[in-house]
Amino acid sequence: MEGVVGNIGVIGAGIGAGLAAIGAGMGIGRLTASAVESIARQPEASGDIRGAMILMAAFIEGVALFGEVVCLLAVFQ
Amino acid sequence: MSIRKTLLITVLPFLLGSFVFGQHADEHKKFNASETIIHHVLDSHDWHLTDWPGEDGHSTSIAIHLPWFFYNSETGFEFYGSTHSLQESGKYVSYHEKPYMLKAGASIPADYHGHGDLDENLLNKDVTIIDLSPTKTVVHMFLMALLVFFIFRAVAKGYTKNKGKAPSGIQSFFEPIILFVRDDIAKDYLGDKAARFTPYLLSLFFFIWFSNVFGLMPFSSNIMGNIGVTAALATLTFIIVQVNGTKDYWQHIFAMPGVPVAILPLMTVIEIISLFVKPVALMIRLFANISAGHFMVLSLICLMFILGEAGHNVTGALSIMPLSIAFGIAIFSLEVIVAIIQAYIFTLLTAVFLGDAMTSHDDHH
Repeated sequence: MEGVVGNIGVIGAGIGAGLAAIGAGMGIGRLTASAVESIARQPEASGDIRGAMILMAAFIEGVALFGEVVCLLAVFQ
Repeated sequence: MSIRKTLLITVLPFLLGSFVFGQHADEHKKFNASETIIHHVLDSHDWHLTDWPGEDGHSTSIAIHLPWFFYNSETGFEFYGSTHSLQESGKYVSYHEKPYMLKAGASIPADYHGHGDLDENLLNKDVTIIDLSPTKTVVHMFLMALLVFFIFRAVAKGYTKNKGKAPSGIQSFFEPIILFVRDDIAKDYLGDKAARFTPYLLSLFFFIWFSNVFGLMPFSSNIMGNIGVTAALATLTFIIVQVNGTKDYWQHIFAMPGVPVAILPLMTVIEIISLFVKPVALMIRLFANISAGHFMVLSLICLMFILGEAGHNVTGALSIMPLSIAFGIAIFSLEVIVAIIQAYIFTLLTAVFLGDAMTSHDDHH
């Protein structure tokens, strides 16, 4: 029984890691799309937009990494 | 140096490592990829360099033994030169890289050398032992600190020597990076208080960057892939931000102006949580990024050993080798970029939090 539960934990960790990656991918995708569009509309503001984009990408990525770390803990207990 | 040469030098250690690794096959052990990866990523009390293949199929491990230094709640501080001398003492045993006291009358099995499985009944877990050993990560952290110190002493000397003249030597390599941190991170987010915090931001940036790049080199340990190291850096940032917080900053945490009294308790709770989430996010971000990179590269290289059944199936290993090496190089190159991006993000967020804590919010209301 213990072995079965262990295996389910690993499956859950795999699914969780995938979901976290999907979330981060969507977030960073939307962020980058808007940022690139803004740069195209107003190229002279590209420096500021890029700075804001990297900062926000770091925050999104941070949330995704929280998820990944939880999944890692689930695998290695 | 051309790009091709650089790539070759990057890949060679892996090829060499795999050659030595292949000799394990004679022991007819099943290859355990996750164990190998974890062993490479985790901290240890031996700086394990490589295994040297022996005559009879048993490989000799080549390692630099690091000392054990710990506090025992009953006997006080204890010091041993290496894992071997620790276990020779007959009192202690190294289990999962932690020192444990042996139970009275118990002895270490002859085939146990500080790694692998051990009967936990042998361990006396009532004695509290606080491990203070300079492990692999600690030693490498000191090496990096010394490297940063000597490089930047040379850079600083360059500024007194070439006063009013163009920079020369190592100084000209680091000047644009230093200026980038000062102008694009410190001055942008801290304004007129930038000069006070630029030294801290520069130290953070270069220590994290050097450690990350060093961690990618063969025979080194991944310093920033150790959560203790990133926790210490995040704690430093946390303390500096709180110490420099203005009255306004604290007011916005405990009593947000302009918020109805009914919502105020909720706001205060959220603000206090966010106070601690910020450094935790800093810690996790750096740790997880660097660990993930190491896991990726090692997994790709391990594919060869999984399909090659640790040397028994040469065709399997050869079939995956091109893919493994190509993807390995791609991820490795990405990691070189991630090394500097993560240093940048850690420094940037530190500056953002600091700037947030120090600005007066009067103009908002």
